[in-house]
Amino acid sequence: MTLQLPKVSVKDLQEWSKLEEVFTSGHRLCAGCGAGIMARQVTLAAKALGDPYMIVNATGCLEVASTIYPYTAWNAPWLHNAFENAAATASGAIEAMNAMQRKGIMREKHVNMIVFGGDGGTYDIGLQSLSGAIERGHDFLYVCYNNGAYMNCLSLDTHILTKEGLKRVTDLKLGEHVYAMDQKTGELVLKECSGIYDNGIKEVYEVMTHHHSIKTTKNHPFLTVQRSKIKEENKLVWKTLEELQIGDEIVVLRKLDEGKSYTFKEIELSQLGDYKVNKLNEAKIPEKSSPDLMEFFGLFIGDGWVRPHKAEVGFSLPEETEGRKRLVELSKKLFDLTPSESSKDDVYIYSVNLAKFVDSLEIGKGARNKKIPSWMFKLPYKEKESLIKGLLLSDGYLIGNSNRYVSASFELLKTLRLLLQTINYRVGKIHTQKKKKGTFVVYRKLLEDSSYGYICFSKRAEPNIKKYLSQTKQRDFLADNMNFRTEKIISIEYVRAEPTIDLRVEEEHNFIADGIVVHNTGIQRSGGTPQGAATTTTPAGSVIPGKIQWQKPLAEIMAGHDIPTFTASPAYPRDLMAKVQAGLKFEGPAFMLVDSSCNLGQRYPPDQAIEVSKLAVKTCFFPLYYTCKDEWILTGISARIAKDPERKLPVEDYLKPQGRFRHLFKPEWKKKMIQIQDEVDEKWNRLVRKASLH
Amino acid sequence: MSGIREVKGMTGDEAIANAAKLVNPDVVAAYPITPQTIIVEHFSDFVSNGEVDTSYIPVESEHSAMSACVGASLTGARVFTASASAGLALMYEILYVASGLRCPIVLAVANRAFSAPINIHGECTDQMVCRDASWISLFGESAQEAYDETILSFKIAEHPDVMLPAMFGVEGFIVTHALERVESLSKQQVEDFLPESRAAKYRFTPDEIMSFGSLVLQDYYMEIKRQQEEAMIKAYDVTKKVMEEFTEMSGRKMEVIEEYKLEDAEYAFISYGATAGNAKAVVDRLRSKGEKAGALKIRLYRPFPSLDIHEALSGIKAVSILDRSATFGSPGTILQSDLSTALYGKENVPTLHGYINGLGGRVLTLPEIEEIYQKTKEYHDVGMTTTLDWVGYRS
Repeated sequence: MTLQLPKVSVKDLQEWSKLEEVFTSGHRLCAGCGAGIMARQVTLAAKALGDPYMIVNATGCLEVASTIYPYTAWNAPWLHNAFENAAATASGAIEAMNAMQRKGIMREKHVNMIVFGGDGGTYDIGLQSLSGAIERGHDFLYVCYNNGAYMNCLSLDTHILTKEGLKRVTDLKLGEHVYAMDQKTGELVLKECSGIYDNGIKEVYEVMTHHHSIKTTKNHPFLTVQRSKIKEENKLVWKTLEELQIGDEIVVLRKLDEGKSYTFKEIELSQLGDYKVNKLNEAKIPEKSSPDLMEFFGLFIGDGWVRPHKAEVGFSLPEETEGRKRLVELSKKLFDLTPSESSKDDVYIYSVNLAKFVDSLEIGKGARNKKIPSWMFKLPYKEKESLIKGLLLSDGYLIGNSNRYVSASFELLKTLRLLLQTINYRVGKIHTQKKKKGTFVVYRKLLEDSSYGYICFSKRAEPNIKKYLSQTKQRDFLADNMNFRTEKIISIEYVRAEPTIDLRVEEEHNFIADGIVVHNTGIQRSGGTPQGAATTTTPAGSVIPGKIQWQKPLAEIMAGHDIPTFTASPAYPRDLMAKVQAGLKFEGPAFMLVDSSCNLGQRYPPDQAIEVSKLAVKTCFFPLYYTCKDEWILTGISARIAKDPERKLPVEDYLKPQGRFRHLFKPEWKKKMIQIQDEVDEKWNRLVRKASLH
Repeated sequence: MSGIREVKGMTGDEAIANAAKLVNPDVVAAYPITPQTIIVEHFSDFVSNGEVDTSYIPVESEHSAMSACVGASLTGARVFTASASAGLALMYEILYVASGLRCPIVLAVANRAFSAPINIHGECTDQMVCRDASWISLFGESAQEAYDETILSFKIAEHPDVMLPAMFGVEGFIVTHALERVESLSKQQVEDFLPESRAAKYRFTPDEIMSFGSLVLQDYYMEIKRQQEEAMIKAYDVTKKVMEEFTEMSGRKMEVIEEYKLEDAEYAFISYGATAGNAKAVVDRLRSKGEKAGALKIRLYRPFPSLDIHEALSGIKAVSILDRSATFGSPGTILQSDLSTALYGKENVPTLHGYINGLGGRVLTLPEIEEIYQKTKEYHDVGMTTTLDWVGYRS
């Protein structure tokens, strides 16, 4: 290979990091933005070379966030023209300086020209300008920062009431039965969900009533009361959010029908030797749910944890508390087991089978991850109320006439709120509070600053509808309806643009989302499509367009121009900076593609930018290499993986930390996951083959 | 004053190329499009033969052409390019960047009609629609004016009070490809006329730490734009002064507008480009018939020379506006709309009668211009203050 990469040692990095910054602080890039990290590394590498350097930057995040007049974060000559023409602009500047140097107007100088372009301004609209500039052979290094494959996905944290309980809308399966309102009789009915649609990224608004809240797009229809002067002409009509105003009454769930006790699945008994403990099958496991058992679960959700391998079901209930007393009672009554009260703060019930039983109920692990599992939504009222009693014994308390429940898990608060709404409790919105380290929160001192949530709720008094029907109907149009009531909208606020999803429900065309009755837009979308025609057949096919679209193979396209082409990642700075220097030293055009993670688009926590980029490389999703005129050389960890394939991580590891791809981990997406892995493997193998020729 | 006046036959395109050769710009980034191709071809011959010391960038599109011009101009270089019609339209986005970043780029336009339908012939709409882009804008009547305006434009654009890009146009084929008598200047004259040092105070160079083209939000954008407007306002006087200097240097009278027999005229033609020549010929014919006709030719279109026009038109009863540019659903022709606003409410203004003609390169004949004159007289007698007609087409 005619092109050599300079060796960049750790010592070099140490020396260079002492140089004055080129891309300084004060820019507005998001915390966790890969582009900023990349820009620092590239400019520092250029500075370390010693020759003067100049920067031309296409429109994009990097440019917009770094030069808000009258400030600039660039400690270098820097020029921005427009979106698709960075390469052309650089061509002009380079040739102008050549001309002026020739004419003696400018001192002779070799200038390293760096051109930054994001994937938008380079792959598509900017490709012409880049290709043209390369063809003309100007001397520059084009650095394209890009955040990987483009994929379609959806996310929404709305909860739907289904036959099997409360589910996240993304967990719904085609054909599942959901609760709906029969528009003729006003009854609560079950209808089939015949379509799940990805509606793409839309602007989303939050609608709030006193006791409910939901996020939808502006065109989403709600069932609302149309009042008229003539009382008899008051009726329910569908109106989109756009047409609704604060004060309008919308239909919400009052309560679900009486449920049935839940029959548990049998837990396999453990054998001696399965675990290191000997308290294996001590507990008597109940077959069905009961008020006492639900109270026990209430205590568990608030204050409990399980460790099956230690045969342990533990509760953080200090001595002398009502909670502990009740737990001991329940344990004896339900399981025939006496808990160990040796600790002042905690109580333990030792039995592997009980631990496994509790663990199997989908309550969730960890203080911040607990939730009310969907099966609890189908229980009888009495059992639900016992659950609440148990919850209040753990993390709740009475304030005046209402109960307040505190939790670190917002998912728990949300699901609890929806559960309360199914038994006609009045519950307010989820409040957030921040507590400082050292504060006592329900018996314990906080170890660090934390944010908690809480909700307030109370049982709703039944109005005397027999005597005061028409008056009550003024306040609540559905006062005489068993399952539904109306509430006034108190706010409608814009949230942001988010991925959205929608359902199609047969016959009644409405469903209950976050406790509110909403219309499906399946019918509206297809206009006059007759019922049944729009039903989908296979889950993956036309329902959720999860077709993977890989971006153009830009590095290969550039390599096809016979210029030095590099791929790099800011997670491997020595590799990146060596390539920058090689590209700048090369006389003529050179191209570098940098994997630049975007935490807003890819949805990972801001401190994970480098981790995510590392995984892109280690899973061979974004391999590190350089090429010139059909010679391909893998570098860094990619070279090591080619030699030792055991080191290659599965592509799942890269997709997992990104919130955008969360849905890919559901069972119905398994085929897609395999497809992605196959594609990554195919591309990687081709690259390895090309590289092995040397 | 002058050197020897050499007279040669040149087409409009050749004239522009030759004038640009004398200027010897630092960078030319251009993409060919009929009818501008000859400019670009001739110029690249000059580059290959070493007759100029220009870095010629054969870009892959007009958008890239203007982009490269901006990049080049900001380093402080003297930059020239040329385009027409669709090419100019493709550059449109970057025209605003060029003026916004105050690059004194000079652009020659071979005025050509827009698609659709596709038509490669002379029409000035392409330059007209750029009138709001904050570029100095000039029109030329002949190959001679094309030659002269090439050189003038650099001086106007690079004036420290202006520092705005400048475009000048002549009609495609009618002027660009027609052989005419052109008096040329000498290299020395041009070098003396144009300032030697490059104009830009702030430059994109390796020695200066500066950011060009930053994001400007609601709090500063309007001020920066206002600065452009003030430069445009100053450009009016600057252009007049530069044209005076040019007149002295070349011996050819150059002014922002040209008045032909307007002193005692009652009815006048207002036009620009090649049509202005025909208008003058018709004025002579009419005068011989005893009509008190006159003609006004507009050279400087932006900034719009309202004052000069108002003065020139004093005493005129009615004006026939010959406009070779298309506009639809408009209260008047493009020129008519600007004139209307310039003259509105002032004393002694003529009635304005717009005539859209010559689209797609169609010839407006002298008899047709005479008919327009009569029509205008009738409109005026009947009492109409403003009219809009299309002429010269089969109805």
